[in-house]
Amino acid sequence: MNKELLEKLSECVEFGKINQASPYPPQMKGQPGADEITREALESGIDPSEILNDALVFAMNKVGQKYSENKIFVPQMLLSAKAMSASMAHLKPFFASGAVKRKGTFIIGTVFGDLHDIGKNLVAMMVEGAGWEVIDLGIDVKAEQFVDALKAHPDAVIGVSALLTTTMVNIKPVIEAIKAYSPSTKIIVGGAPLSSDFAAAIGADGYSKNPQEGIELLDKISA
Amino acid sequence: MKQFIDSVLKSKIRKAMPVMTHPGIEALGYTVKQAVSDGRIQYEAIKYIADNFDTIACMSMMDLTVEAEAFGAKINFPEHEIPTVSERLLADAAAISELKVPTLDAGRIPQYLLANRLAAENIRNKPVFSGCIGPFSLAGRLYDMSEIMVAIYIEPDAMEQLLSKCTEFMINYCLALKATGTQGVIIAEPAAGLLSGDDCMTCSTQFVKRIVDAVQDDTFTVILHNCGNTGQCTHAMIESGARALHFGNAIDMQQVLTDCPADILVFGNLDPVTVFKQGTPESIQSDTKVLMEKAGKYSNFVFSSGCDLPPFTPEINIRAFLNAVNQYQ
Repeated sequence: MNKELLEKLSECVEFGKINQASPYPPQMKGQPGADEITREALESGIDPSEILNDALVFAMNKVGQKYSENKIFVPQMLLSAKAMSASMAHLKPFFASGAVKRKGTFIIGTVFGDLHDIGKNLVAMMVEGAGWEVIDLGIDVKAEQFVDALKAHPDAVIGVSALLTTTMVNIKPVIEAIKAYSPSTKIIVGGAPLSSDFAAAIGADGYSKNPQEGIELLDKISA
Repeated sequence: MKQFIDSVLKSKIRKAMPVMTHPGIEALGYTVKQAVSDGRIQYEAIKYIADNFDTIACMSMMDLTVEAEAFGAKINFPEHEIPTVSERLLADAAAISELKVPTLDAGRIPQYLLANRLAAENIRNKPVFSGCIGPFSLAGRLYDMSEIMVAIYIEPDAMEQLLSKCTEFMINYCLALKATGTQGVIIAEPAAGLLSGDDCMTCSTQFVKRIVDAVQDDTFTVILHNCGNTGQCTHAMIESGARALHFGNAIDMQQVLTDCPADILVFGNLDPVTVFKQGTPESIQSDTKVLMEKAGKYSNFVFSSGCDLPPFTPEINIRAFLNAVNQYQ
């Protein structure tokens, strides 16, 4: 029973079935989604850690792989992330109580001067789906906002995004401010105009060109 | 315009048209904010490009916010970067239902029409292309780009309504651009490149095709630009009916040229950031040579950047690119 529920939940997340009301995907129309199945799983006594790791992280890893291989695209990925979030909402009390441990904390934001967020949102959702707590600072985030968030989450890894060539240069002062406050904090960067060479030149600890690479980088950094 | 396309197709010499207006703005000492706000300044920048660079054509700016602003979206105007939509205009299906299709006197539309008219009247040595956003990308700017990606599946009827309103406006706008005397329009549909091929067909192509059917003829060509396409959208782009297609640097041009009919002009695709802005004259020459070896044998190929050249791209790099196109024939 437990295994069956976790498999159903995993399937909902992989194929983006958010809740029963959602018409997507058409082949699951009218069926319970991640929202209802998570509630049922908790009521039937399944350990929240099992729900997180055996269903959500497992499914989101498949989603990330399929995206990397161009088998799915941004809408499908976002629908999976929405389904994951619907499930995750039920797990929040267990995160707060410490009953469920996550891999770590990831603070993410689009650098100051830049209002673009779709890439940052994708990374945030996928990283959360990989088992991390994500603190999303939004867009146009100044260096001091990253530092303030780090004060509240001292062990966090930080991710900084930029879409424009004129704003990617703003990442360097952000990195300098964070490193001045906490030299050991790891910072990864990403965004359309960035490259690994640029990341190295501005003092970032890593660069990822897509969400899946970002997750692998985080796992490596936190190992 | 048909004559222009036919001459490119018949020529044994490959030509170049990087997507650029920033070099003109910078050379004349203006800011981007001035150029996107004042049609005369924008025209001067276009004219500078036409007069000073050996390109096959020139183009007006594509800031991709002027249309969203006409609908009522709030816009942020940095001094030296293209504007951006600063907040979501439409929160739900009810807001879409109430949305009015704007008239052509809204926002900065008159300034863009002025820039295009002055360019068409005064640039006689090469064709002038207008620029505008595509319907799906416009809808994304109004509804929020992340939200529209989900809404096309969750609220398909509302998205159909939004896309139809965007398309109605874009048809009116493109007809007005055509009336200024330019020889075509580059429709930038970058957000469609985030979709699967099927979704691109449903959410972008069928709407772009309505614009193409309304404006394209022997005097006026549509160039459809989709810089997010990695190959999955190429068929959908061809199906739009646009007589020319423009590709970003995420795609293999050799594959594109194999996939596209020989009577469609194909533009692409050196990386505007790593090649043009961050490269050197030597590296850009080398990158151009590689592209020539891949794509130069196709008579429908035109050398270009994969997207708009960013602000402060070194002019020496642009000239190295144009020289290399001539050198490696």
